[in-house]
Amino acid sequence: MLLKLNNIFKWVQSGGQRVFLLKDINLSIEEGEFISIMGPSGSGKSTLLNVIGMLDDFDEGEYNFLDESVHNLKEKHRANLYKQYIGFVFQAYHLLDELTVKENLEMPLLYSKKSSSERKSLVADMLDRFNIVGKKDLFPSQLSGGQQQLVGIARALISSPKLILADEPTGNLNSKQGEEIMELFKQLNDEGVTIIQVTHSKKNAAYGSRVINLLDGRRI
Amino acid sequence: MFKNYIKIAFRSLKKRIFFTFLNTFGLAIGIAGAILISLYIYDEFSYDTMFKDADRIHRINGDIKFGGEARKFAVTPAPMADALRSDFSEVEMVTRFRTWGSALVRKADTEANIKEESTTYVDDSFFQMFGIDLLVGDKATALQEPNTLILTKSAAEKHFGSLKNVLGESVLLNNTETYTVVGVIEDLPLNSFLREHTVFMAMAGYADSKIVNWGSNNYQTFIKLIPGVDVADIQVGLQAFLGKYVIPGIQQFMPGVTEEQLRAAGNHLFYDTVALTDIHLSSNLVAEITHNNDIQSIYILSFIAIFLIVLAAVNFMNLSTAHSLKRAKEVGVRKTLGSNKSELVQQFLIESGLISFLSLVSALIIAIIALPFFNELADKNISMPYTSPVFWVILLGATLVLALFSGSYPAFFMSRFIPVKVLKGGGQNSVGGGTIRNSLVIFQFAVSVLLIISTLVVYQQLEYIQDKDLGFSKDQVLIVNDVYAAGTKAETFKKQVKDLGFVKNATLSSFFPTPSNRSDSTFSPKEGGEQQEDAISMQIWGVDYDYVATMDFEILEGRNFDTQFGNDSTNIIVNETAVKNMGLSIKEALGKQYTPDMGADNPLYYTIIGVVKDFHFSSLKDNIEALSLTLNSSANSMAIKLNAGNFSNAIAAIENIWSEMAPGQPFDYYFMEDSFNRTYEAEKRLGNIFIIFTMLSILIACLGLFGLAAFNAEKRTKEIGVRKVLGASVGQITYTLIKDFLKLVGIAILISLPVGWYAMSKWLEDFTYRIEINGWVFVFAALLAVIIAVLTVSYQSIKAAIVNPVKSLRTE
Ligand SMILES: Nc1ncnc2c1ncn2[C@@H]1O[C@H](COP(=O)(O)OP(=O)(O)OP(=O)(O)O)[C@@H](O)[C@H]1O
Ligand SMILES: [Mg+2]
Repeated sequence: MLLKLNNIFKWVQSGGQRVFLLKDINLSIEEGEFISIMGPSGSGKSTLLNVIGMLDDFDEGEYNFLDESVHNLKEKHRANLYKQYIGFVFQAYHLLDELTVKENLEMPLLYSKKSSSERKSLVADMLDRFNIVGKKDLFPSQLSGGQQQLVGIARALISSPKLILADEPTGNLNSKQGEEIMELFKQLNDEGVTIIQVTHSKKNAAYGSRVINLLDGRRI
Repeated sequence: MFKNYIKIAFRSLKKRIFFTFLNTFGLAIGIAGAILISLYIYDEFSYDTMFKDADRIHRINGDIKFGGEARKFAVTPAPMADALRSDFSEVEMVTRFRTWGSALVRKADTEANIKEESTTYVDDSFFQMFGIDLLVGDKATALQEPNTLILTKSAAEKHFGSLKNVLGESVLLNNTETYTVVGVIEDLPLNSFLREHTVFMAMAGYADSKIVNWGSNNYQTFIKLIPGVDVADIQVGLQAFLGKYVIPGIQQFMPGVTEEQLRAAGNHLFYDTVALTDIHLSSNLVAEITHNNDIQSIYILSFIAIFLIVLAAVNFMNLSTAHSLKRAKEVGVRKTLGSNKSELVQQFLIESGLISFLSLVSALIIAIIALPFFNELADKNISMPYTSPVFWVILLGATLVLALFSGSYPAFFMSRFIPVKVLKGGGQNSVGGGTIRNSLVIFQFAVSVLLIISTLVVYQQLEYIQDKDLGFSKDQVLIVNDVYAAGTKAETFKKQVKDLGFVKNATLSSFFPTPSNRSDSTFSPKEGGEQQEDAISMQIWGVDYDYVATMDFEILEGRNFDTQFGNDSTNIIVNETAVKNMGLSIKEALGKQYTPDMGADNPLYYTIIGVVKDFHFSSLKDNIEALSLTLNSSANSMAIKLNAGNFSNAIAAIENIWSEMAPGQPFDYYFMEDSFNRTYEAEKRLGNIFIIFTMLSILIACLGLFGLAAFNAEKRTKEIGVRKVLGASVGQITYTLIKDFLKLVGIAILISLPVGWYAMSKWLEDFTYRIEINGWVFVFAALLAVIIAVLTVSYQSIKAAIVNPVKSLRTE
């Protein structure tokens, strides 16, 4: 068992009323799964992903991640937890514009206090693996969208997370680039990485082993 | 990690070059200004600290009211020195100065005089007292014999060419007294009270210094205490001097007078001390050896320095937090990649450290370039203390503190960003901090408006002084110094000068209505002369028949001195204040008789023949005091009233006559107006410094505002695009953008007006004759601030407003 959500509620106060963003979400995910979250716009997909990624709080319920009770943890602990086990991939890539490809890849390693030689070899491995050695000194603005997302995934993978969270990773890409990214996810999943992606496309969802449907913050 | 931070910091600064420039430039100006002001203040506090045992040296002051007004003197009677030596075992030694003003000096075997501006008699303990060494001569015996003197190095070189053949040479002072040179000392430091003095004559030869007369105050008296003694002990002991020494002296003239009677008549006399090192900044008494500064100006400058730095730091915070909107994404990404708060704080602090360091380097360059101009402005001779480790330590330390101070708010502000929010791109609302940013802009503009108000008031007051009706005419009056050097031919000189076509009038006198050290005499009336209370304190100026006409005084009652009336030598003319102090009306005063030497066997009574309208002969900071004019043929100087025209021709013609009358004597002159202006040099300097630093602080505030406007416009690009698509005009959009800033400036003005009014009223209180602060000063300052703000903000706003909306919307 990688993680388990029990009766998760999340709401905001609006005009004295609770507006529920997530309603009674129960979900358990095993290691090695490849899950797609689907649903109409505004149904709470990103919200759920952020809760799983510990970037966002929830108001009620229990969340266990690798036997740790996330809802009881201090922020610092939580940060350490996701630093160690979770990698994020964004629709808008969110690479740092002033850093080169190589430096973007290196950054999570800096934050996890890896030694310089370790960082070098890990970055080199990653560049190799994604076939972007030739691009290592370019800045994000010098890459195509697909290449940027490749770097984004490489960056998410570099500290060998157990879980990859991807919010519409192919949303800004053309269909060919999207397919390549999906192939890559499939391959990673085969290597044992757990993946949760948000997607609007049935085709992309087909790469996964399981689909979770949301409507108005509720699983259906 | 650290190396990585530095690298990233460098890159991100380079990428945002405009922001980096605004920040660095603003900080650099602030630091440069603060460096200059700090050096100035440091120099001011260094006065007289170079003398050996300076901390043990004190000067005796007198606070005396004896008839007339109370006055505080930097000088005490000649016998004070002996009394101190005999009454206080705590006093290690005593040295007196009896300043003697300027003197004409020449080698015994030459004709031509060279003028030395400041000479003084001094006791032979001088060398030991102040730890002064002789370059040539014997310290153990120097100045012990009468008619010996020592020179400073530059004076010796001026008269003798080198120091080799100086010792034992004879020099003549004022063509009459022969002195032997017994030593040469190093020139006295510019930051010492003796800086102007070049000739020191032996006190041993000055007869007055040995006379026990507790009634006249002419000697600057310094004591050195033995180590470990508290000066308060001396101050307490000095209180006994009135009864012990001064009263017995007075009783010689007024038998039977007691201390109680004097006190009952409202008189007093206190002796006090001031530490040598405090004199320059805290002592401003009658008969100071050199003009001292005012601690108030130090406070004002310190405030300005602090303001500059704070303004620049505020800029930094403002620009950084405004800019953080653009960096929000970076923070969000970094956080999701595992950066914690403290790592982000470190990173941003390193960036601000880097900017501070860049600013420091730029500031040093600016300061080095500006130093000569600043020296000119402040009338100083300051140099950069490159070799002083303390200077560098303070500078680097201050920069570090500045970096932490100005960097910490933006750093903590940014590190608090919540990734889910900022990555979603919520703009302004996702980061907050607007209130603080606005408060900072308000603060900056409040300070700027305050400085504008101060500058205006200082300048108005200076102008007022310049144009004030002084009761005499100071324009086109040339004063020729040292006419006594012409001896008996002085009168002839005057006659010939008066005959020149462009000369309106000329007068011989030693007294002119420009501020200088003069002393009062006590005048007692013939009727009721025994009544202590009827005596008044009054200056006597020796003048000639042409004086009143040349100076353009107005006679209110009675007449001027006139040869037609035969002997006017026992008549006096007094001013209005004198009449008021006598308790008479102008009409009553005529014919009244007063004497300055009450108690003498056969006192000489002067009869009042005229009353002149009050005129200002001291600084406008002081009240007009009682004054009398009397005929006196011995005069130091001649005042010449010229017709308007070519002054250099006039001066050349007068010099011609002078060199015929007094061959070989220097022709030394000045314009009365210049001397008058010099009185207010300190104020003028303050005015100039105000202007410069006001402009600097406004510049810094503008840099900040400019940057903020840029970011504001950028932040609202999308909004502007949408508004334009919906039909808004460029003017409407520009107005929307500027309006927000104007609101802030308006609040700033509301805050600074009362503060400015209060502060400047306080400053003006120093002047007895002063302006009322005018309402338009505030209107003008407010308008200026608004105009500056609008100009600063418009560029960015208009630029944003004219952008094609299709472009700005596509970038979203
Ligand atoms: N901070 C917030 N305050 C109020 N409502 C919010 C907040 N954040 C999200 N919501 C609401 O929660 C709902 C779910 O948002 P979420 O971003 O999770 O949708 P989504 O399923 O990811 O949609 P999309 O497919 O368009 O990305 C939306 O209706 C949104 O308006
Ligand atoms: Mg979403």
